[in-house]
Amino acid sequence: MDEDVLVNESRQASSSDIGRLVEASQAGARGAFDELVRLYQRRAMRVAVRMLGDVNEAAEAVQNAFVKAYLNIDKLKEPGRFEVWLLRIVANTAISQRRAAKRRASGIKVTDCHEDKGATSLEDKAVGEELKEAIQVAMRKLSKKEAKAISLFGLEGLSQREVAEIMGCSVAAVGWHVFKGRQKLKVLLKEYL
Amino acid sequence: MRKEDVDSRFRGNDKVENEKERIDSVFEKNVEEQLAEVNWDELKAAISARLDEAERGKTSKSKFPAVFKVAAGVAAAAAVVFVATMVKMEKPVEMPLENGKHAVVEFIEARGSASVEIIDRNGEGKENGSRAAWIIIRMPEPALADNGTNGHLRDLIRLF
Repeated sequence: MDEDVLVNESRQASSSDIGRLVEASQAGARGAFDELVRLYQRRAMRVAVRMLGDVNEAAEAVQNAFVKAYLNIDKLKEPGRFEVWLLRIVANTAISQRRAAKRRASGIKVTDCHEDKGATSLEDKAVGEELKEAIQVAMRKLSKKEAKAISLFGLEGLSQREVAEIMGCSVAAVGWHVFKGRQKLKVLLKEYL
Repeated sequence: MRKEDVDSRFRGNDKVENEKERIDSVFEKNVEEQLAEVNWDELKAAISARLDEAERGKTSKSKFPAVFKVAAGVAAAAAVVFVATMVKMEKPVEMPLENGKHAVVEFIEARGSASVEIIDRNGEGKENGSRAAWIIIRMPEPALADNGTNGHLRDLIRLF
């Protein structure tokens, strides 16, 4: 299914629908939580990949984040605010994982389909890999707040106020962290810009 | 303001905007390429398996008999009393430092606090005519146990 369709699906599943799924999950309905996973796994992955720069590490962080969310779902007071709550968990989990020196294999198989989806030659593929590594290294050099701000800012359908809420700071502070993050990325990624 | 200044300001803003766009677009391109590699069904299955695991852990924890919890609590309390008694029983220990200085290490019960007292300033605290500096260190036993007496003394030698 197309990414935009799924983004819309999770955004347009009205907050009352989401609220009902959360309430059912809080009451112990595992199926309801599975549905929340289906609706939000792509957005969670998008944030985690932005933050960690590696799809396998991101998959690991997202799995951990959903487990944390599942175990703490009863603590969510406003079921309609599930997305903000979940993305905060994802961002914090990714930040914690960023600290880990050793990379862990996620167990998620990544299909080798570059040639089908964009990169058309070995050269393109090599450049893509190099860029991926450069971004990964660059993101690790940002502060926690800069990495969070860069990763969440501009995420489709997420307002600046929601980003601020996820980060636990003001909207102005989000703007500042995005600015500082971009400044650093500009230097760190200058070869690719 | 001259027209050229205005133009240059706008050119400056354009430059900043372009840089922002380039960073965002490189960044976003990388995200898109990586997300294109994800097998979403497998990811969902992996999350589901992790949730099953978490659920099993949660259930076994909730079935853990209360009697064991009480027993664990009693054992922990007994251990605290034992440690406290041991700490109280400890006598001050005299330990030589480098440069002819000495320290008396006295174990105290107040956890999380420590004090250092220097008693040889202004000539006080000399014993038998020696020029030894006397330092009384008061610290809780756990701190010593965690870090080792020698570690603390090494730190003190650096200080004095």
